[in-house]
Amino acid sequence: MDSFLQRVIVEPFNRFLDRVLQFLPDLLSSILIFIAGILLGLLLKNLFLRIFSAIKMDKFSQKYGLAEILQKSGIKEPLSVILSRFIGWLTIISFSILSLHSLNVPAVEGILEKFILYLPNVFVAAVILFLGYLLSNFFGRAALIASVNAGIKISGLIGRSVKLTIFLLAVTMALEQLGIGKGTIVIAFAIIFGGIVLALAIAFGLGGKDAAKEYLEKKIKGEEKRDDIKHL
Amino acid sequence: MASTVIGNEIQKWIDEIKEADILVGIPSYNNARTIGHVVRAVQAGLAKYFPERKSVLVNSDGGSTDGTTEIVQNTTIEDFQSILLHHRVEPAFKIATSYHGIPGKGSAFKTIFEIADALNVKACAVVDSDLRSITPEWIELLIKPVIEGEFDYVAPFYHRHKYDGTITNSIIYPLTRALYGKRVRQPIGGDFGFSGKLAKFYLTKDVWETDVARYGIDIWMTTTAIANNFKICQSFLGAKIHDPKDPAADLSAMLYQVVESAFDLMEIYSEVWKKTKGSEPVPTFGFQYAVGLEPVQVNLDRMIDKFRLGIKELMGIWKEFLSAQITDFLCKAEGLPKQEFYLPDEVWVDIICSFALAAHKKTINKEHLLKSITPLYIGRTASFVLETWDSTASDVEEKIEQLCKIFEDKKSQLSEKWE
Repeated sequence: MDSFLQRVIVEPFNRFLDRVLQFLPDLLSSILIFIAGILLGLLLKNLFLRIFSAIKMDKFSQKYGLAEILQKSGIKEPLSVILSRFIGWLTIISFSILSLHSLNVPAVEGILEKFILYLPNVFVAAVILFLGYLLSNFFGRAALIASVNAGIKISGLIGRSVKLTIFLLAVTMALEQLGIGKGTIVIAFAIIFGGIVLALAIAFGLGGKDAAKEYLEKKIKGEEKRDDIKHL
Repeated sequence: MASTVIGNEIQKWIDEIKEADILVGIPSYNNARTIGHVVRAVQAGLAKYFPERKSVLVNSDGGSTDGTTEIVQNTTIEDFQSILLHHRVEPAFKIATSYHGIPGKGSAFKTIFEIADALNVKACAVVDSDLRSITPEWIELLIKPVIEGEFDYVAPFYHRHKYDGTITNSIIYPLTRALYGKRVRQPIGGDFGFSGKLAKFYLTKDVWETDVARYGIDIWMTTTAIANNFKICQSFLGAKIHDPKDPAADLSAMLYQVVESAFDLMEIYSEVWKKTKGSEPVPTFGFQYAVGLEPVQVNLDRMIDKFRLGIKELMGIWKEFLSAQITDFLCKAEGLPKQEFYLPDEVWVDIICSFALAAHKKTINKEHLLKSITPLYIGRTASFVLETWDSTASDVEEKIEQLCKIFEDKKSQLSEKWE
C-alpha cells in the first residue's frame, strides 16, 4: 500500500514540485523583466516627453499642419505625448515578450516566435493605414479647395474621389503587408481603379462630347465674356 | 549681409560703376510688349529730373522667353532733343540680369536691393514692367522725396478704375491702415521709391524663401517700412494702367501669397499694431488731377456662381473658425438672386478678422485656410460691383473709406482675441 501511495501520489508530486522549483527562478526572472519593462517604459516615456518639449516638437507639428491632421483624425493629444507614449508602450511590449521568452516553455516559445515574426507586418500595416488616412484627408481637402477655386461644379465629388482613392491605396498596401489575399487585392484595386478611369473616359467621350467641345473651344478661342478685373 | 545673388558679370558692372546716386529697378517676366516703354520712361525721367546724378537702371528678369531682356538692352532714347530741351550727354548705366532663387517678383527685388547696396546708392525706385501709363514724371515723384525730402519710403498713389486693385481695396489697404495707423492708399501698388538705407535694411531680413519672394513683396516692403518707423510718404502718379499680372498665376495663388504675407507680418509686428490706435494720413506729393480710365468688363454671374459653389462645398471647413452668425449669413446670401446679392462691410471685416485669427491660432493648415478665402473674396467683389455699379470714383472712394473705418472699429476685438 505504502509503495503504491509512494508511486501514485508522492513521486508525481515530488516530480511536480521539482519542476515547479525548476520553473520558479524562470518565473521570477520573467516577472522581474516584466516589472523592469514597465518601469523602463514609464521612464522612457517621461524622458522623451521632456526631450520632445525641449526641441519644441509640438510647435513644429503645428507649423507643418501635422497637429491639425491628427486633430482631424480624432486624436486630441499633441504629437509629443503620442510619440513618447508610443515609445513607452514599445518598451513595455518588448520587455513583455522577453519575459515570456525567459519562461522557457516550448509551446509559448513557438507561439511567440510566430507572433514576433508577424508583429513587424502588423506594425507596418498600421502605420500605412494611419498615414493613408491622414494623407487622404489632407489631399482630399486640397483637391476640394483647388477645384472650387477653379469653379468646377463637381468639386465635392473630386475631393471625395481623391480622398477615397488615397485611402483605398493605403488599405491595399496594408493588406498586402499583412499577406492577406496578396495578389487578389492588388488585382482588385487595379481593376476598380482602372474601371473608374475607363468609365470616366467613356462617359466624357460619349456623354460629354459637347461639354468637351465647348471646353476646348473656350480654351482655344477664349471665353465670350471674361473679367478684366485686375485684383492686385 | 553677404551677397548671394550677384553673379560675376554683374560684379564686373558694379566694379566699373563703383558708386551711384540713383538706382531704378524693373523686375520683369515675359513683358516684351510693355517693357520698352517703361525703360524709355525711366531713361527720360532720369535725364530730365536728375541730370547731375549718377544713375543706374537695373532689369531683374525671371527668365523671360519672349525677348524681354533683349528689348531692355536695345532700348535707348535716340533723340533726347525731341523730349527734353536740355539733357545730359551721359545716359544712365544699364544692367540687365536674371535673378536667382524662388521665381517671383520678390526674388527680382532682392537682386535689385543687392545691387543698390553694392553701389551704395542714395535713392532707389522700382517700377513694374507691365505699366502702360508710366511717364518720366513717375521717376521724379518716386525719387525726389527721398533725395530732397529725406523720406525713406515713397508709396505710389494712383487713380485706378473702381474695379481695379480689388485685393487692395477690400483687404490690404483697410487692414494695413487699421493695423499700422498709416493711410498708405496703395500699399501693394508695385511702384515704390525708397532710400539706400531702407534697401540695406530690407536685406537684413531673412524672408526670401517665403511668399515675400513672390507676390508678397509689396505688402512686406510697405509694412516693414511703417512698422520700423521709417519716414513714409506717397506720391500721386496719375493713372495706373497695366497689363494683367502673369496670366499663369491664378487668382487663388495671388490672393494666398498676398494675404499670407500680410498675416505673417501681423505675427512679426503684433506688438506694433496692438499699440497703434486709429490712423493718420501720410504726406502726399504730386499734383492731383482727374484721369480717364479704361473700362473694366465684369462677369457678375460667374463671380456669384463661384461664391455659391464655395458656400456649398467649403462651409465644412469655414465652420471650424467662422462664427455661427457669419456662416448663417453666408448661407442666406447663397440663396439671394443676383440683383439682391449683398455681402455687407461688417460681415466682410468679421470674415477677414476670423481668417487672421485662424491663421494665428493655426486652426487648420495655413495653405488650405487661405486658399479657401477665394470664393468669399469673389463674393465680396461681386457685392461691391453691384453696390457701386452707378457710383462715381469719389463715391467709391467714400465707400472704401467706410470699410476702413469698420476695420479700425473692429481692431480692438481682433486684438483681444489674438492671444
